[in-house]
Amino acid sequence: MNADPLLEREGSRRKASETPLLRLEGVHKRYAEFEAVAGVDLQVKTGEVVAIIGPSGSGKSTLLRCINQLEPPTAGRVTVGDVSIDAEREPSRRELMQLRRSVGMVFQSFNLFPHLTVLRNISLAQERVMGRSRKQADEVSRQLLARVGLADKADQYPNRCSGGQQQRIAIARALALGPQLMLFDEPTSALDPELGLEVHAVIRELAANGMTMIVVTHEMHFAESVSERVIVMADGRIVEEGTSAQVMRDPTSERAKRFLRAVADR
Amino acid sequence: MNDVLEFWGESLPTLLDGLRLSLEVTAACLALGVPLGLALALGVQSKRRIVRAVALAIVEIGRGAPALILLQFAYFGLPSAGLALSSFTSATLALAWTTGAYTSEIIRAGLDAVSFGQKEAAAAIGLSRLDAMRFVVLPQGLRVSLPPLFSFAILMLQASSLCFAIALPELVSQAYVIGSNSFRYMSIFVLAGLLYAVICIPASLAVSLLERRLARHTV
Amino acid sequence: MTLEIVRSIASGIPWTLAVTLAAFAIGAALGAPLCAMRFSSFTLVRGLAGALTLFLRAIPPLVWLFLIFFGLGFGYLQINPFEAAAVGLGLIAAANMAEIYRGALASIHHGQWEAAFALNLSARHRFLDVIAPQLLRVALPSGASYAIGLLKDTAIASTIGVSEIAFQAYHTSQRTFHSLDVYAIAGLLYILISLPMAWATRWADVRLRARVAR
Repeated sequence: MNADPLLEREGSRRKASETPLLRLEGVHKRYAEFEAVAGVDLQVKTGEVVAIIGPSGSGKSTLLRCINQLEPPTAGRVTVGDVSIDAEREPSRRELMQLRRSVGMVFQSFNLFPHLTVLRNISLAQERVMGRSRKQADEVSRQLLARVGLADKADQYPNRCSGGQQQRIAIARALALGPQLMLFDEPTSALDPELGLEVHAVIRELAANGMTMIVVTHEMHFAESVSERVIVMADGRIVEEGTSAQVMRDPTSERAKRFLRAVADR
Repeated sequence: MNDVLEFWGESLPTLLDGLRLSLEVTAACLALGVPLGLALALGVQSKRRIVRAVALAIVEIGRGAPALILLQFAYFGLPSAGLALSSFTSATLALAWTTGAYTSEIIRAGLDAVSFGQKEAAAAIGLSRLDAMRFVVLPQGLRVSLPPLFSFAILMLQASSLCFAIALPELVSQAYVIGSNSFRYMSIFVLAGLLYAVICIPASLAVSLLERRLARHTV
Repeated sequence: MTLEIVRSIASGIPWTLAVTLAAFAIGAALGAPLCAMRFSSFTLVRGLAGALTLFLRAIPPLVWLFLIFFGLGFGYLQINPFEAAAVGLGLIAAANMAEIYRGALASIHHGQWEAAFALNLSARHRFLDVIAPQLLRVALPSGASYAIGLLKDTAIASTIGVSEIAFQAYHTSQRTFHSLDVYAIAGLLYILISLPMAWATRWADVRLRARVAR
């Protein structure tokens, strides 16, 4: 009954299945005059790890937020598993809740709740959204904390933890609802390089255990090593897509070439 | 000098009775007004136009009209519409209106101070709007609002002096009565002023201290 | 009937405006030296200014008015209701404006003072040309807010006999049986008068913003 969400996928081999877990069709996000996402089509298979890279303002973060409807798209369709949401109609509460349970998100600024203990941070949604009892929720939370190596921090407050620890706790919090898809929005941009390493380690472990993930990142090495597929976004569109080796070493589009060159020069 | 002190000594018990009433009416109007302020803070941001309009009207009138007018409206005005309230009740209701109007702004600012990321995170983990408000936004927002709310409470104690005009026997009324009987206006009002100061000054200092302590614990 | 009531209450408007203006003028003017005293190098001066501010703000305006009008007025000085109200509210305004000036000064970036020194400007020019415009820009919104609050505080003056709006409202309500209407109209009048003040502030704020960039 109480499956560890991380162990829901048996075995350590990545399992790719035929029907894509995530499908984005013609997704647009417009703010008054400005189109942050200008028509994106994307499919992600179960167990795949996709990295999205690109210059600032290219719409990468907005795209992630379109997936879990934090920013509802102004056009297009988002499908995650069984839930499909069209931009034209307002999703029902049930659909929205189902979507948010299948998709976990980790933010650049962690966004842990400072007034709650670490344990409570992870248990809150389990109690309120899944209806678990406090005992059940806390048990799962402790397991998750152990997985990210922070079992001893359970009763502390977030402000007593380092940035890297806070982000790992944030990952545990996102995993608590047993999502099928994990979104990472520049998970280590706000961290010192050293602290970033511990977060990367956790993300790699999730990947090795078969979690489907989309990682928006500025860290090129990490993007190349953790993902199977890399997408380059610029001006709200996908300008390059392929295996990580292909895209990073030998991009075909001008725009992608320009971006990767600029990054390499730094 | 001795003379004045003697006079003060005689007058003190009566003034203290008045002070007690001032404190009671202040407590009553805060007990009603602050929850009202929370309701109004949420109301002015409601998605439903009618709720927004009503909340806004209550806030604008509560803030725009002088407290004295609201007091007189309640005590002198309502009877002509058939509702006669005691001076204490009128005072409580009128000052609660003022309190609700001003605290709605204070609380709204506090809720706004909660970072957007917190609201995003709450939504991302599937919390309903109500749950997000209850478990994530309100606890943090109210904390920010605490020092200005306390400052406002101190202001309301001062505002209770206006109840002189609606025949509530609070501190200033008592002082005025003693003054007009003894003609020692200067001495009695100095004493009344000192009584307010003795409460309000330490209270203000305590709020500054609270503000500093709270600032230390936030990011 | 209602028109007569409105006319009767509205006759208090000039007095309301007069007290507001007088008190604000006194407050804005006296607030500057009071603020300066807070920055003095003499502890005694600083302490005095601090204590003064504390007391002025801790004691209710009504008590100050009574102190001045009944206390001073009875046997010490000849003082009429308008003067007592203007001085009483003016002194309280001074304490509040001093705090506003203090906050505005503190918010001016440290670098401004440094730049002014580096450019070798005299103390007078430093203040007039560099600091004061920025001070004004920051203090304006708070000052204007305070002025609008002051407008409402003048209702207190009715208790010592100044013939402003609240005074007229009270006497009108005693004369007629329409107390509800009377006070509703009085309240509305205050709200209406504060509107142009708020607009003027916003207009001035925009103008100043254009000339003093943040």
